[in-house]
Amino acid sequence: MPRWGMIIDLDRCTACQACTVACKEENNQPVAGRERSQRGRDIFWMHVLLTVDGEYPRVRARFLPRPCQHCDAPPCVQVCPVGATTKRVDGPVAQNDERCIGCRYCMVACPYGVRAFNWKAPAFETTQYLNPDVPVRPVGVVEKCTFCIHRIEKAVERAKAEGRALRDGEVQTACMQTCTGGAIVFGDLDDPNSRVSRLTRDRRAFHLLEELATHPRVTYLAEG
Amino acid sequence: MNRADVMRIEREHPDLRSLVRAGGLYYLILAGLLAVVGYGIYAYSQQWREGLEVTGMNTPVYWGLYIVNFVFFVGLSAGGILVAALAHTAGLEKFKPIGRIAELGAISCLILAAIFIMLDLGRPERWFHLIFYARFASPLAWDFVIVGIYLAIAMALGYFSTRADLVRCMALLPSRRGLYRFLTLGYTDTSPAALERDRRVLRALAIASIPAAVMLHSVTAWILGLLKARPGWHSALLAPLFIVSASVSGLAMVIVALVVSRRFLGVRVKEEVIQDLGRILVFTIPVLGYFLFAELLTVVYAGEQAPMTVFQEMMFGRYAPIFWFNVLLGLLLPVLLLWRPRRWVALALAIPLFVAASLVAQHFRLAIPTPLVGLFPYTLGVFLPSWMEYTLIALLAVVVPFFLLTTPWLRTTDGIGVAAALVVLGVLAERTNIVLPPLLKTWLPYPPGSYMPTSTEVVLVLATYAVGALAFVILAKVFPLVELEEG
Repeated sequence: MPRWGMIIDLDRCTACQACTVACKEENNQPVAGRERSQRGRDIFWMHVLLTVDGEYPRVRARFLPRPCQHCDAPPCVQVCPVGATTKRVDGPVAQNDERCIGCRYCMVACPYGVRAFNWKAPAFETTQYLNPDVPVRPVGVVEKCTFCIHRIEKAVERAKAEGRALRDGEVQTACMQTCTGGAIVFGDLDDPNSRVSRLTRDRRAFHLLEELATHPRVTYLAEG
Repeated sequence: MNRADVMRIEREHPDLRSLVRAGGLYYLILAGLLAVVGYGIYAYSQQWREGLEVTGMNTPVYWGLYIVNFVFFVGLSAGGILVAALAHTAGLEKFKPIGRIAELGAISCLILAAIFIMLDLGRPERWFHLIFYARFASPLAWDFVIVGIYLAIAMALGYFSTRADLVRCMALLPSRRGLYRFLTLGYTDTSPAALERDRRVLRALAIASIPAAVMLHSVTAWILGLLKARPGWHSALLAPLFIVSASVSGLAMVIVALVVSRRFLGVRVKEEVIQDLGRILVFTIPVLGYFLFAELLTVVYAGEQAPMTVFQEMMFGRYAPIFWFNVLLGLLLPVLLLWRPRRWVALALAIPLFVAASLVAQHFRLAIPTPLVGLFPYTLGVFLPSWMEYTLIALLAVVVPFFLLTTPWLRTTDGIGVAAALVVLGVLAERTNIVLPPLLKTWLPYPPGSYMPTSTEVVLVLATYAVGALAFVILAKVFPLVELEEG
């Protein structure tokens, strides 16, 4: 059983936000539009956060692509009263939208703010381009980044059918595939030779809000 | 019931007058409340159709007025039961009559809390998942369990403290015999032995209800306080603070209910009882003030960035009016009203009120005395009040308390009722400020959140209050709200 994890190299991130767009397309996230966006109704599983240090002319902008951290000690799973959000043995924190009662306790408990709520029924300009592998979530439930679980499962099935082990880099999340700077690496943390494993041991590696002891599966490489 | 019957009961059993008499004002209130509830049902149909989109809740303020009111009403309920337990176990004959009104209040408040949770759910039709798929690592699941236990105890308490009077009503009000018989569940034995057994059961239930009420409200606090993700909630003091708030607001609620039913529903409550409850209330308010102060001092002294931003928002930011309403009008003023010190003491006490109020206005800009500078490591915002604002503050802080204190009307039970109502509103403000500001601030660099409830949300909150008031005015015509005198 693989143990899925992700690397985000902040040195390579250009803040182009292609990951955000690719994630929205891949995972059938509705677009809020300008007016609803201003009222805090956006749904972004992948969000590029911006901080600006200093003032012009000595100014520095930092970017932080932020998917779900898929914590090994997830506060959201701990607080869900109905077990709608669970920690899978292969790593991802999954959300069951048939089970969810929409109490939003998990959103309140998540220190990273990665969860999104369907304030209204999702609306798409056309359903023609929806991804058939990913269900559309109904109104009133919480949703979140799945580590592109449908891609993982497809790859695992294919490898099994061909009677071989998964190759490193065979599973790509949508954000990784589209990342223009190659900042995102996805793979098996149990395989000591995978790229993701090697980068996790990098000197620049750190986790977001390490002091909260959530043990994220997403490792960042600090800007040099 | 015909007119002759009403006349007879009024003559022979003045205790029961409030049950049979309903004037024009009563029906007016009833109609008004029904209208509000009806409008609420319409508003809910909108929320049902369009989802929580119609509320002001958003990312990152995932919880709003519904959860604030949920916490508030669970607190009132727990406090009400603690007052009832006091009435049944303290051995003070004087307080026995108020037990029932406290129980009725506790049960109704818990039902209102349940309504608020249902309003808050994104998928209310899946509420039964809480039973079938309950996951006991979640404080919300603990809440569900303790609410069940607590409700059972509260209802049993209500039943055993009312049963004997219901049997008496069966005899006195023959036209409602069937209703009262149903409410006694067919157990109509009023022999001395049966009454003695009732008393024993009641005492045992009252004792059991104390830990149940404490756990009920502690669990509510832990829903918030156990989350490490939220500075401002994550504090060991939160549960004890909730218990104190609950006791204070519960006692105040019972006083308000007694004063209202005495004045508007014709229920016979001795003035002395209300005076004594007012005296108890005045001693509990400073305890609540002390808890709030201990929590604030710890945060301010440490000056850690995350909790400081939350408290900054709460004390001097957008939530400052609510915070200072809580402190000045919800804690200080009721103490002045209930204690009724001599005028010069009152004026002396109004000075800190004035100082505190001007501090708010100045956002601490000039007001930190030198010896205290090291206490406030955080840079506070800059805001210069106009002379107009100063005048308003002076009016609020000095003239209003002085006027209130010198008005003879406030020395009556009505005055105690006003003070108690202020305490209840103060605790509602406190709940708002415990729940909302920590949601605005997130650890990661997101844009800061804001929350303004929509009209739908406000209507639904008011309609739920109206449901509570409706239940109270209807039940006041069914149950004798205070114990009948023997015979």
